[in-house]
Amino acid sequence: MSGGLKNSAPRLVVLYCANALESGADLAAAVKTAGGFTVRPVALPCSSKAELSHLLKLLAEGADAVQVIVCLEERCQFLVGSRRAEKRVERGRMLLKQIGMGEERLGFARGNGLKVEELMSLLERRAGLVRGLGKNPVSGEGEK
Amino acid sequence: MIVGEWKPIAEMLEKLRGVKKLLLVGCATCTAECAAGGEREVETLAPLLRMAAAREGGALEVITKTLERQCELEFVEELAKLTEGAEAILSLACGIGVQALAERFPELPVYPGVNTTSLSIREKPGLWTSRCAACGDCVLGETFGLCPVARCAKSLLNGPCGGTRRNGKCEVDENTDCIWTLIYERALKRGRLEDLLELRKPKNWSRSRHGGPGRIDREDLRV
Repeated sequence: MSGGLKNSAPRLVVLYCANALESGADLAAAVKTAGGFTVRPVALPCSSKAELSHLLKLLAEGADAVQVIVCLEERCQFLVGSRRAEKRVERGRMLLKQIGMGEERLGFARGNGLKVEELMSLLERRAGLVRGLGKNPVSGEGEK
Repeated sequence: MIVGEWKPIAEMLEKLRGVKKLLLVGCATCTAECAAGGEREVETLAPLLRMAAAREGGALEVITKTLERQCELEFVEELAKLTEGAEAILSLACGIGVQALAERFPELPVYPGVNTTSLSIREKPGLWTSRCAACGDCVLGETFGLCPVARCAKSLLNGPCGGTRRNGKCEVDENTDCIWTLIYERALKRGRLEDLLELRKPKNWSRSRHGGPGRIDREDLRV
């Protein structure tokens, strides 16, 4: 994650299944133009590759929110990959709530052939939700 | 396997209040299998603890390590170099592992992060049910391989009681099978119903917890 960001600009990480986006989508270019928040995109061969520990580590290292984008359940090429990812996010949200961090710091959405604009719109919504929660209390501490 | 589940995070945090450097230790054996204390769970809990500490305005350094077996002192020795500077240890092993750490590192407070619950089998992903009570006097040979000590709410050796539901479930919990119904069904299937007419005599509970701390002493294994 880049440093020197304004406090008011939430820092998001989006982990997405490469199959959930339309082919040829240039997400790297789109995230540079995001207004009011910053995004670090991470493509995965399947959303189930993201363990819960990965999601929480991103938050513990300063991300204000992590958004997970998975395929539609019936289109998951690993059959249960997207469902597995969904359950991990659900558990993560429950744990974040328990420690008072706010469950909205972890987001989940399904998509099929998502256009870049649709994804950016999802991220904008997530940024809005975490803006209300305030800055991640670990920001600036141990960020990698 | 020995199974358990995380203590409420608030309870862990209460114990860790004021700690600046923590050694969080998992076990790659039983509690890993029941998804409470393996490497995954250690690496999941560590960021949560860091975030929770940051929320309260503190900074918590969490060193993580998952031992192959936390209940064996030979494996515990691996932690010696990691305890330097640590103010406390949080263990995600069963109660045996917690005590092994406390025995090896008596100068440090060692806290359990897991409530050890039972000796269980994994029936399906995410569901573990009790199979053994470690009673020290096994009766499985008389009960068709189904344990009434661990699996009957009353540990009845001559069941069933009058509380079996019509659907074969236990009166204590509608999701739990009446083990004596299962024993009956298995005996029926084997054509050995008459075996159940035999009265099983009172069990020797002195070999269970009632007899004080357990001990097996095999001198032949020591050289």
